Amino acid sequence: MEKEKHYIITAYTENQVGLLSTVAGLFTRRSINIDALRVFPSGIPGVHKFVVKTTTSEVKVRSIILNLEKKVDVIKAFCYVDNEDFNKELKDVSDYIKEREALCK
Amino acid sequence: MKQEQMTGSQILLETLMAEGVDTIFGYPGGSIMPVYDKLYDYKDKLRHILVRHEQGAIHAAQGYARTKGFPGTVIVTSGPGATNVLTGVADAMVDSTPVVVIAGQVSSTLLGTDAFQETDLIGMTNPITKWSYQIRKTEDIAWAVSRAYFIASTGRPGPVVLDFTKDAQVGKAEFKYEKCNFIRSYISKPVVDESKIDEAVKMLDASVRPFVVYGQGILQSGAEKELAALLEKGDIPAGSTLLGLSALASDNPHFKGMLGMHGSIASNVMSQQADLILAVGMRFDDRVTGKLDTYCKDAKVIHIDIDPSELGKNVPVDLGIVADAKDALSRIVAKMARKDRKAWLNSDKHCNEVELQKVIIPETKGTADTINPGEVVATVAEVCGQDAIILTDVGQNQMLGARYSRFKRSRSFISSGGLGTMGFGIPATIGAKVAAPDRKVCLFVGDGGFQMTIQELGTIMQEQLGVKLVLLNNNWLGNVRQWQELFFKERYSATRMINPDFEKIAQAYGIERVLVEKREDLRPAVERMFADDKPFILDVHITEANMVFPMVPPGKPVSDIMLNAKEWYK
Repeated sequence: MEKEKHYIITAYTENQVGLLSTVAGLFTRRSINIDALRVFPSGIPGVHKFVVKTTTSEVKVRSIILNLEKKVDVIKAFCYVDNEDFNKELKDVSDYIKEREALCK
Repeated sequence: MKQEQMTGSQILLETLMAEGVDTIFGYPGGSIMPVYDKLYDYKDKLRHILVRHEQGAIHAAQGYARTKGFPGTVIVTSGPGATNVLTGVADAMVDSTPVVVIAGQVSSTLLGTDAFQETDLIGMTNPITKWSYQIRKTEDIAWAVSRAYFIASTGRPGPVVLDFTKDAQVGKAEFKYEKCNFIRSYISKPVVDESKIDEAVKMLDASVRPFVVYGQGILQSGAEKELAALLEKGDIPAGSTLLGLSALASDNPHFKGMLGMHGSIASNVMSQQADLILAVGMRFDDRVTGKLDTYCKDAKVIHIDIDPSELGKNVPVDLGIVADAKDALSRIVAKMARKDRKAWLNSDKHCNEVELQKVIIPETKGTADTINPGEVVATVAEVCGQDAIILTDVGQNQMLGARYSRFKRSRSFISSGGLGTMGFGIPATIGAKVAAPDRKVCLFVGDGGFQMTIQELGTIMQEQLGVKLVLLNNNWLGNVRQWQELFFKERYSATRMINPDFEKIAQAYGIERVLVEKREDLRPAVERMFADDKPFILDVHITEANMVFPMVPPGKPVSDIMLNAKEWYK
């Protein structure tokens, strides 16, 4: 059995009804316990941020991240080991959204 | 000047037409009645196929989508109407089939009150849809519907469910339609990393024994020509997943057959001998890989898929490329070296000879008193000139239909792969015939699956669809029976079927049915079946205890192949 570690997973999402259960469902399906969960406005207008604390294996975390990003309304997802600073990606996401939106025009 | 106000129902139908929809598979009911009322005014523009059960609607939409490469459309009511489509939605999710389901819902003011025929459809469909959305406002309809078709049909295709409240259907708003072709949080077509293409070309050129494994991604991206060109340029053999069948013509010299549990010996053995596996538009299902930690141990693996979450999911990859298959393959073909690998390409002679003598001839050239199902499939392939769209249900009929059908044209094989949904066959055949009225459309189905969606014979009757239903009838749930014989000490628990008189059933629906019990009657009956474009049931009484081989038993490496109940491939 692969070694379990503490992880913090963050996801930046559109503000859609029902997304909380979509995100939670990805964990449930892989029988991963959520140790703590916080959802709040990210600081980027219209974009919400999920922070999930969990204890699991690296393989499962990787699967969670890829499947989070596969959801239509999820913009980006990131993973940190235990006590890393999980706010540093805010600017990256903001830049990424600007890049994506430039493609639309 | 202020634009004319429309009801939500009319906005829905106008948006469907703007998206290019011409056919709806559906079933009315209380919470969707305003839409059906408006449909009365659109009956010359939108064809509505009334099914007999909502499961029939979703499978028909899947058959339509897989034939046409355009999303199938389903309209049903709330509650049981919506829950009845769930099996097909899950099937479409795992088989990446583009379908859009529009389900009625109680008025938004009643949500959460256990109102009559209210269910939490969004909650139920969350894990089995690419996107699901509840339309509560008339103003949102055009936006949500256009977005639904964009999401269903692009990227890795999949099902979308729209839960459409009754007040949004009857409310009024201006019709403001704008075709959706961009969503900032969703990448519909990945940009290919050219350096990874270069790396793939380098690995391919250095390989002595490369083997290509491909899946439905080839059909969905329209990469059939690019795939054939790659195989030709590099003298590379290839094996197909179940859903990838018909992407290469059956007589293509590079095509080594289907992969996996009931695949060809050559494709399984060669994938184990290869020094490089190039996987394109497929997901290494356990039915393809066999025991995972023994699969392609000596090979480097390049995996090309449009879905990043598939890369490395089951099989560790040396190089993963997130790309549309056509895009990636055309770049690789342009850069790769032309190589002579004839010796490797044709190294499967022993495999093929063993399979021919031990499996194919006994199955398709039967000499016993009863007819083998493989004889029926092979006869259909001969008579229809390899030009029909072949569908299967699930089980032995499916594996034999896949093994012995022959294809010249792409998008000619439709089956429920990942979910393995018995009862898929009859309604999916309806959808395929609606999508391709000029083609021959033929289903192989067992007596079990036939009775799971037997009610759709009513739809065939009402629409007078020229579908050809070949009932491989052995009065058993054959595939489970086979496993019971091989792996459960011949304890035949709940697999024996006492069947109805299918002649009377066919008569009741006004469908011609011919019974075949003797070998000499088979070919004339198949010729009779394809002589016109009318509904037809060919009821063939087949060998009861017939088993599908070759077989890689579950949990074994794909090179451990049973030729029959006693012999193994050496």
